[in-house]
Amino acid sequence: MNVLPWLIITPLFGAFSMPVISLLGGKFREHWVVIVSGLTLGIAAKVFYTIWKSNEILVYTLGDTNPIGNGVKFPIRIIWEVDLFGALLALTITFVSFLAILYSLEYMKHDTGLDKYYTLTLVLELGMLGIVITGDIFNFYVFLEIMSIASYALVAFRNDTWEGIEAGVKYMFVGSLASSFILLGIALLYGQYGTLTMAYLAMKIAENPTLISKVALAFLVGGLLFKSGAVPVHMWLSDAHPAAPSSISAMLSGLVIKAGGVYAIARIIFGIFNPGLHSYLKAFDMPALNLNTLGWIIIFFACLTLVIGNAMAVVQNDMKRLFAFSSVGQIGYILLGFGIGIVAYGDKIGEIALTGAVYHIVNHAVIKGLLFFIAGAVIHQVGTKNLNELSGLARRMPFTTLSFIIGAAAIIGLPPLNGFASKWLIYESSAMYNPILAVIAVIGTVFSLAAYTRVLFTFLGVESEKVKMVKEPGNAMIVPMLVLVIIILVMGILSWQISDKIMLPTAKMLEQLNGEYIMALLKFMGGG
Amino acid sequence: MFGYWDALYFIYAFIIGLLISYLLMKWAEKASVGTRKEGDGSKIYISGEDQDKVIPQFEHLQGYFTGRHVMWGFIRGINKMFLTFRREHTGLLTDYVSYLLITVAIVLGAMVIWG
Repeated sequence: MNVLPWLIITPLFGAFSMPVISLLGGKFREHWVVIVSGLTLGIAAKVFYTIWKSNEILVYTLGDTNPIGNGVKFPIRIIWEVDLFGALLALTITFVSFLAILYSLEYMKHDTGLDKYYTLTLVLELGMLGIVITGDIFNFYVFLEIMSIASYALVAFRNDTWEGIEAGVKYMFVGSLASSFILLGIALLYGQYGTLTMAYLAMKIAENPTLISKVALAFLVGGLLFKSGAVPVHMWLSDAHPAAPSSISAMLSGLVIKAGGVYAIARIIFGIFNPGLHSYLKAFDMPALNLNTLGWIIIFFACLTLVIGNAMAVVQNDMKRLFAFSSVGQIGYILLGFGIGIVAYGDKIGEIALTGAVYHIVNHAVIKGLLFFIAGAVIHQVGTKNLNELSGLARRMPFTTLSFIIGAAAIIGLPPLNGFASKWLIYESSAMYNPILAVIAVIGTVFSLAAYTRVLFTFLGVESEKVKMVKEPGNAMIVPMLVLVIIILVMGILSWQISDKIMLPTAKMLEQLNGEYIMALLKFMGGG
Repeated sequence: MFGYWDALYFIYAFIIGLLISYLLMKWAEKASVGTRKEGDGSKIYISGEDQDKVIPQFEHLQGYFTGRHVMWGFIRGINKMFLTFRREHTGLLTDYVSYLLITVAIVLGAMVIWG
């Protein structure tokens, strides 16, 4: 049995059954949401394992067995096309979401409207899952909007504070505008090439690369840079992520900007506008797009992002805002990896850069999940996220502080933690491609170090009045943090094994030197 | 496997870093003492901040050289940059929209001209 559709059906059913389940009581609702998200994690693990084992792209047609229409020779049905990159993202999304839901059981205990909260959380999860498995560009847009609308609502979930409402409204306004650019890009591609299937679109664009396709690509990338939180379109992120409940901040910073941002950029560039395909065409003097330009555009925004994001983190007094700016900075590293992956396509350097970027997506999801859980624990127990009031927390919350030290060291990129391995690959590839890029990347890390040292300095200071009576949170909050700490340590110790066995094959499948993404569809069309 | 690093290199770098810090401290001590062995003249102003100054809530660190000295030089040295960055973060929705339009325009312009 193909389990892929259950990856969407399970959270969708879980979300829409939530109002009915809630009638049976709060405890039942909590058990239900944990079971649903746990089941989704199991399905994602199965999908990932299947693809990893076979090293083949999984294609699933909605409502039929074949994407090709009756009487025509091209795909007309919606397909889901999952490669290792999509499957890895799905596994990461379900894992962090499961922990966030587990964490919410205690963190959100004193809130009302929890049926809506859990419904939106599952909708957010399924939106992200849809993005990473779809092979249809309009279907991608639908899932992107599902994810975005759930995010807007969750940012403004706590409507007793103006911070959440203001951030949610601003996020919604500008987010909708960015979505419009993405939709415009999709409409232009559909108008020009008459198909929405990504792999088929890749073939049609390669056959006839027009000005329209360039404009469409620009709109798509422009809109998705916003969704990634790249500088200078990152300001919504530093408002929205701190304003949301911490469990949601972990999902927003750890997952949403990846699935709806950097993943989507990589999928569109490598899946639809494959640089290899166009350089091949150019070698034969045929009309082709110059994807190097796009690679440099992404590198340009990446450098801005990693310097400004991390630098802004240094001057924050709000702990969650500091973490949010740090997320902006880390997105810079991922974009830098993808940018170098494009300009050095087909080269060893490009492969290292892509591996680093893919690896850093997973690492950052885990690390930032932990850091926002820590921020949540501090807010839950102390009642403030102002760093000036949190001095001396280490004595009262030793586990939380230790977790923070590990999380901070990992995100700065200290060996032997997981953040080091991925950052090292990005530094290495950028140094090999252009040393100036490596210097910029290291400057970003220096800012990151300064920002996190400040928090550490606060935690280790003399006890302030505010923290004198606090204690560690309950187990439902401790366990997700502990799991993430263990994951960070294990991923750090086994970093090169993970890099070789998982990240490198994933990067290769994303890069698709032999056009695997197109070939998977061609099998249905009598080719391949 | 690609990508190369060796934990030993980090230990070497750390030891060299410590050595440089020690030499710097000794040099600063010698340079600042002048003709006297005691009093304010003997203080090392690595960062321009007095290491004997009591920082509220950090009394236990009094008399030590802390990370603040490094942070001080780093943050103070590029203070203008931070101010510029902060000034741009207005929190105004109109600015967010402007930046989005500028970003899309940059990508669009570059792609149309060089793409």
